[in-house]
Amino acid sequence: MVESTLDQCIKCNICVSYCPVTAVTDLFPGPKYEGPQAGRFRQPDQPSPDHSVDYCSGCRVCNMVCPTGVRIAEINARARAEIVRQHGLPLRNRLLGRNEQMARLGSVAPWLANLGLHNPASRFLAEKVMGIARQAPLPRWSTRGTFGNWFKQTRERRLRSDMKVVYFHGCSTMYYEPFIGQAAVAVLEHNGYEVVVPPQNCCGLPMLSNGEFEAAAGYYDNNINHLVSYARAGLPIVGTSTSCTLTLKEEAPEMLDVFSPEAMALKLATWDIFEWLEERHELGELRTDFRRLEMTLPYHAPCQFRAHRVGKPALEVMALVPGLELRDSPARCCGIAGTYGYKVEKYQIAMDVGAELFDFVEAQGPAVKMTACDSETCRWQLEHGTGRPSRHPIEYLAAAYGLYDLEKRQLVT
Amino acid sequence: MNDVVVIGAGLAGLTAAWQIAARVKKVSVVAKGWGATHWHAGCIDVLGYYPLESQEPVASPAEAVARLIGEEPHHPYALIGLDRLAAAIRAFQALCQAAGYPLHGSLEQNWLLPSAVGTFRPTCLAPETMVAGDLRQDTPMLLVGFKQLGDFYPQVAADNLAHQGIPARHAVLDLPSLGQYRFITPVIVAGLMEQTAFQAEVVEALRPHLGPAARVGFPAVLGLRRALWVKQELETALGRPVFEIPGLPPSVPGIRLHHILQQAIQANGGRVYDGMQVIGQEQAGGRVAAVYSETAARPRTHRAGQFVLATGGILGGGIATNHEGEVREVVFDLPVAAPAGRQAWFKPQFLDREGHPIYRAGLVVDKALQPLNGDRRPAYSNLFAAGTTLAHCEVIRERSLEGVALATGYCVGVVV
Repeated sequence: MVESTLDQCIKCNICVSYCPVTAVTDLFPGPKYEGPQAGRFRQPDQPSPDHSVDYCSGCRVCNMVCPTGVRIAEINARARAEIVRQHGLPLRNRLLGRNEQMARLGSVAPWLANLGLHNPASRFLAEKVMGIARQAPLPRWSTRGTFGNWFKQTRERRLRSDMKVVYFHGCSTMYYEPFIGQAAVAVLEHNGYEVVVPPQNCCGLPMLSNGEFEAAAGYYDNNINHLVSYARAGLPIVGTSTSCTLTLKEEAPEMLDVFSPEAMALKLATWDIFEWLEERHELGELRTDFRRLEMTLPYHAPCQFRAHRVGKPALEVMALVPGLELRDSPARCCGIAGTYGYKVEKYQIAMDVGAELFDFVEAQGPAVKMTACDSETCRWQLEHGTGRPSRHPIEYLAAAYGLYDLEKRQLVT
Repeated sequence: MNDVVVIGAGLAGLTAAWQIAARVKKVSVVAKGWGATHWHAGCIDVLGYYPLESQEPVASPAEAVARLIGEEPHHPYALIGLDRLAAAIRAFQALCQAAGYPLHGSLEQNWLLPSAVGTFRPTCLAPETMVAGDLRQDTPMLLVGFKQLGDFYPQVAADNLAHQGIPARHAVLDLPSLGQYRFITPVIVAGLMEQTAFQAEVVEALRPHLGPAARVGFPAVLGLRRALWVKQELETALGRPVFEIPGLPPSVPGIRLHHILQQAIQANGGRVYDGMQVIGQEQAGGRVAAVYSETAARPRTHRAGQFVLATGGILGGGIATNHEGEVREVVFDLPVAAPAGRQAWFKPQFLDREGHPIYRAGLVVDKALQPLNGDRRPAYSNLFAAGTTLAHCEVIRERSLEGVALATGYCVGVVV
């Protein structure tokens, strides 16, 4: 039970000293005040003691540093949901939460959608009318088709094998960055695994983090129905989006109080792809026929990956690639935190939080051409903040296997 | 695979990992969260009071530790000996010196520094940012607080020091820069202190209060990464020595030491992970084969050749107690030396001068710092323990917390 952990708080303030948001704005008084302290005043069906909890970005740094195991970020997310329940949800947050529908809609005519969204006039309007920050790094729709289309079209060429892995692509790979999924499929097949892509939908995190729990529960339920038979058959379900996999593992069941056997089966079957690849390597099963990648590469493990509490598997696996000189980012958070940094009132906070990361990349010198990060919105923020392209670690791994072109972001045929 | 996994990221765990990494072994530190390093004063207390009943602080830690070793053969200091304690102190001073944050002092003589409430605080090593507060001299001091930083009340400290013969006055600064904030933490002020404009604002507001003060004391917020520079800038501007007084957690001086150790580990390829609580273990043939940590889904396995347990005592979470009077070590369920039954844990008085017997609870280890089982043999051939998880010491009353953590962590780091 998330709220019951607040009794473990010993008021040591370690969370406050690490909170990346508190460090840059006093609109958010800090995890200790919002979580375990204000939590004592939140009673069912009573007004929330304060609304500043909405400035929690949900990065979970507080949970990670807490010496006594208080689930601060989850307490905050549930407090936000209660405020939404009492006061309703702004249209903007409803739209940001429904990233999947927006993405699918745009993918019908991606050229047009990109043109319509990515021009100064639309961004100006979106900011004035809806409060979506005009500078914030919104993604572009894929003009090379969706991941789903590619997977169907190449069905004949896909590897068939007794060793199977289920791939959870997430909305971003489906509609914006299908090449991430292609790289993942290439790496998995290179290691002898057949990739299964069952029907699936948004993990529900954008809705969870905007306090729209009821809708999120519907999405989560659908995913359980789509995926539970694979989980029960013992197939690993791997994802390239760290926040989607974290949601399937923990966020959705914990925040929505869903602890059914089906939900637990899905939880235990879900892996971040590098978590799973690292385990393959530890068991001596990962192919290491890597080409040299001669580059200095700053890598940022996103907060949503660190919150899996599995260390930094992408760093460990990429370290196997000869020539690749990795620089591990000490930054707490890139700032964007999913949909947080897109909101006009939070854009500057997100950029100020990200400064730690941008400065780290800058400090690695001008020879650094690209960065690496597992999470899509964090990559977009990294590109926005540093002006340098960012890639998913799976793209580097696919490139190291000689299967992928890092510049063009496509498979080598 | 790791050569060594260290469980716990307090001073003991980080010191062990630093020594292990320095010997070119692959080490990972796995910790539930940050803890002890963020709570302590950022000094190294080796022995502040001995014998414990004594009202007089220890003048020479080396002499007092030698006496303690003779009288308490089970104390961690007795197990490791004075020479290894001295080696740990020297190595840590060298590390901090190289990091541009020197710790001054030696085992020959304790400092007497002011606490946040104006008492005399004996400590062995103090950072350069604190030593001008030395109370063995009675040069007049001005203690400065910030109106917006409720963690430090300079008047309480100054009045108490004045009662004890140290000429001390106080001033509270109301700075426009801080007034813009709705709330303030020590870490935020420490960040501001690294900005020249804020330093100038502090100096400007402070100047009228200086009077006869020959030194100026601040709460311990003089910068996080560049503390020495901040102190020097303030000293140049004020024309007199400046010092810090550590106070409530989170401790900025403690975080500085945490950073230095973490960087020393990572610079040698070691890993330090927070948010990873070790919840179980696997053994084979009298050895620890692996430990498991909690994750968002399934437990994660950490295999290694050797393991170091540095999870702390009751406060740190390494030892758990319950209402039935059980005292347990949380990872390996090792035998814990503790008074039998809850009745025996406590003295009747809350603030009993002799302390409470439960405070001495902990693991019994041999001279190699290997936890012993009921037969007084090492419980596992590849398991070591360090820090306040060890029995037969009472680190808070002794004022030996950092000394025990540093020295035992160092010894384990050298031998594994």
